[in-house]
Amino acid sequence: MISRVALWLALRVVGAIALVVPAAARADWKREWEAELRHRAQDRTWRSDMSLISRAMGSLPDAAWIRRQFTLDADAVHDAVHGIRMLLKSPGFTAIALIVFAIGIGATTAMLSVADTLFMRALPVPEAERVMTIWQYNRETGATRQDVTPGNAIDWVKRAQSFEAIALAEPTGLTAEIPGREPEYLKSTFVSEQFFKVLRTPMLLGRAFEAEDFQQGVRVAILSYPMWKNRFGGDASIVGQAVRLGRAAPFTIVGVMPSNLELRLFDDRFQRQPEPLVWLPKQGFNDFEINGRRTGFWGVLGRLRPGVTMAEARAEFDALSAQLAYEYPETNKHVAAQVVPLRVHLVGSLSDVLPLLLGAVAILLIVACANVANLLLARGIARGREFAVRQAVGANRGRLIRQMLVESLLLASVGGIAGLALARWTLNVIGRLRPLDVAGVDRIPIDARAAVITCGVIVVAAIIAGLTPSIQLSRPASAAALKQGRGNSRRGVRNVLVIVEVAAALVLAVGAGLLVRSFVLIQRVDPGFSSERVAALQLFSSPRIDTPEKRTAFFSQAIDRMRSLPGVVAAGATSTVPFGEARMTIRTAPAIDGRLPASGEDAQIFTTTVTGDYFRAMGVPLFKGRLFDATDTATSRQVILVSRSAAQKFWPGSDPIGSRVRFRFNQTDYDAEVVGIVGEMRHDALDRPARAELFLPYSQSGFYALTIVVRTAPGSPTNVQALKEQVWALDPLQSIFDATMLDDLVSWTLVGRRFSLFLLVGFALATLLLATAGVYGVMSFSTGQRMREFGVRMALGAERRDIVGLVVRDGLKLAGIGVIVGIALALPLARLLRVLLFGITASDPVTFVWVSLALVLVAAAACYVPARRALSIDPVKALRLD
Amino acid sequence: MNLTYPTTLVLHAIANGSTHGFDVIDATGLASGTVYPILRRLEEESLVSARWENVSVARSEARPPRRYYELTSAGEEVLEKALKKYRLTQAKAGRGRRLRPARSS
Repeated sequence: MISRVALWLALRVVGAIALVVPAAARADWKREWEAELRHRAQDRTWRSDMSLISRAMGSLPDAAWIRRQFTLDADAVHDAVHGIRMLLKSPGFTAIALIVFAIGIGATTAMLSVADTLFMRALPVPEAERVMTIWQYNRETGATRQDVTPGNAIDWVKRAQSFEAIALAEPTGLTAEIPGREPEYLKSTFVSEQFFKVLRTPMLLGRAFEAEDFQQGVRVAILSYPMWKNRFGGDASIVGQAVRLGRAAPFTIVGVMPSNLELRLFDDRFQRQPEPLVWLPKQGFNDFEINGRRTGFWGVLGRLRPGVTMAEARAEFDALSAQLAYEYPETNKHVAAQVVPLRVHLVGSLSDVLPLLLGAVAILLIVACANVANLLLARGIARGREFAVRQAVGANRGRLIRQMLVESLLLASVGGIAGLALARWTLNVIGRLRPLDVAGVDRIPIDARAAVITCGVIVVAAIIAGLTPSIQLSRPASAAALKQGRGNSRRGVRNVLVIVEVAAALVLAVGAGLLVRSFVLIQRVDPGFSSERVAALQLFSSPRIDTPEKRTAFFSQAIDRMRSLPGVVAAGATSTVPFGEARMTIRTAPAIDGRLPASGEDAQIFTTTVTGDYFRAMGVPLFKGRLFDATDTATSRQVILVSRSAAQKFWPGSDPIGSRVRFRFNQTDYDAEVVGIVGEMRHDALDRPARAELFLPYSQSGFYALTIVVRTAPGSPTNVQALKEQVWALDPLQSIFDATMLDDLVSWTLVGRRFSLFLLVGFALATLLLATAGVYGVMSFSTGQRMREFGVRMALGAERRDIVGLVVRDGLKLAGIGVIVGIALALPLARLLRVLLFGITASDPVTFVWVSLALVLVAAAACYVPARRALSIDPVKALRLD
Repeated sequence: MNLTYPTTLVLHAIANGSTHGFDVIDATGLASGTVYPILRRLEEESLVSARWENVSVARSEARPPRRYYELTSAGEEVLEKALKKYRLTQAKAGRGRRLRPARSS
């Protein structure tokens, strides 16, 4: 007889253990156990209290078992063990699937990490979403993100209400002169008092600038992280010390910037060293700055007031621009303000390209998954017996699907780990190819976050790759067919997968092809000068050379010294070298033959002063008249040359030679006669038009900054260091802003294109490789299946080439459908690439035809190998094949 | 599925009319913590089906309705195979806890 206490206790035990059971099943579970216990308690023949309680305790294993079922633990472990066993059984299959997954997952992880770093990760700026960069925008020319003129910037600070703080930044330079070391140009930036209030970035060491630093004459500086690390060896005691950074009195270092802050305050789209090394306080504005509205070279950064939206700020700045345009029509008529969030600004041109690259890796991943799916299907057919047996002994379909998914997940996980290494490599390549206007793309980490991304990609890849085969293979109806190893529906699925792969490969290959052709075409663009074997040394003359006469003497001596070096064929100098590291844009509205100068952007002509053999050094042709020579002196008649484009624009249909032009250059008025027409040069980029340019002789103009260009003879290497030493022989303390080969300068403007080109071509090649492997796999499998048929055909007199034709034709049919589907997809998708194209349209027939042909050829090659194998068999043996 | 000896015993007990969890425990002599997980697994693999007892029957006996188990046709097939494997005869199986697996020859 059971006591009430025992029943009560047993019910409590079951009640407590019920908590182990997942909520969904708990009520039923409890009900069953309670019913059994109560039933037993009524049974008068039943033995003892203890046995009831011990039986109630037995509900714990039961509950635990149900819990495991819910979390799939037990079976998942079993599936995993079984999966590993199966994968090890066919190492060839496993290796291929792992490689395929590694490529797909690695590339996807790399691009997702780029997107994550640029768009999602926190910037080292608190509440960065409120920080905006503000630029000028020219309504007439459409030029965006231009540096701001000092006058406009100062007015914006005074008038804008939507920002709690607006900071100004002015680029400057210090020349570090350390005895025994090459004088070094230190890129620096003056920042206004609000700068660190806008940023709120914690300093790595020391403090930010404070109000007293902005009083006239205070000499304090903040070092950038690279400057602190490289020049001061990362010595923390530097803070508080007085350090000589330039020629004048030393600066007291008050702080060091954090290492991960990149701001790109200025429109240095093509500069290699965009971040300043030294930060200095901007102590007040002079009249020139307050009134300077012609040339923009400042950067503006603001922090929105809490609650103010970007749209409101934009509206306010539109109104401000309209006010300024009304007040200063001469300079501001077409000037608008552009408010760009800091993060968007830092992503730069990559914001256009990244979605395309993400799309490309998505396609690559899909192809990789289709490939693995195909492999799983092929192997699943070989494993038909295993599945049939498992189904026969009662394994249900869900269980088989799960088994396949677990195997796919195993492959994806191991492949994904290998993919992580590949992602690191891809990111290194991306860092090396870095588009110059994108911040931080060269230090994208593979860390816990990236690992999480990879896990996500792995799961998605495993499901995509595993689902089709598992659903196909677990079909109960196909169990009988599986035993035969044939299944038409399965071959259908595999064919569809191959078509998908070929189509995807075609889409990417067309995209890559369009970029390659654009790149080839843009490299063929004639910049108007020949950049091979030309070195360019950009100098800002030191303040010691304080008169125009001294400067003229200094530069002409430097040019003479360089010309006398062995191998040098021509040397000259210019105020504005095309593609120069520091871009000079000096423009004027010319008054031709007594007519008044026209207004507006379009009436402006670029003015450049040149000396020595500049045009010969640059390889710029003289079309008419003469070049400058020794007879053009400071006291002789003022003369100018014009570029052919300027001649066509300003003297349409007439000859400019002998014409008189009045213009302003470097705060001086000129009245000069045109003596010659030279070729026009492109200055900014190969895809931007050549400039209409006016040249005046240095002997008649003078200028504080010149770029010396030196051409060497073919076969004699240019020694840039030797050229620099010629400058230092004249003045050991003269810093050289930049010394590079001209073709490198041109090439740097193509960095953005090269970046998207390399990545897209890389993804396209990987996809093509996978698609080829896919075609090969399917053809090789179906050929294997048809051995007997081929044997019969050969026994009945079929020629070898008939058999090859049969196989290749089958493969080409698939490839052909894939190509057609691919073209249909590529035509609309290629339009997304439009911004990256040059000289061709998005539906460029040449690219489409070549890519399609190439793909068909590759597919034919992939079919040829299995076809050859079909030939190698003995018809007699083939007939005997079971 | 893995047909262990206890699983075979449980299938056998159900086939022979022990339709409730505790009855199976009594018939097989196995512990409740062994029998229930086996029942769950058999149910999941559709070798046995389970149903709730009619409420009116339970109410007449003043207790909650119990859950009872039946072999499915698949379960019967599997039991047949298992019995061959363990050479269990009806008679032997009936003797409950004294069962031992036959030595395989």
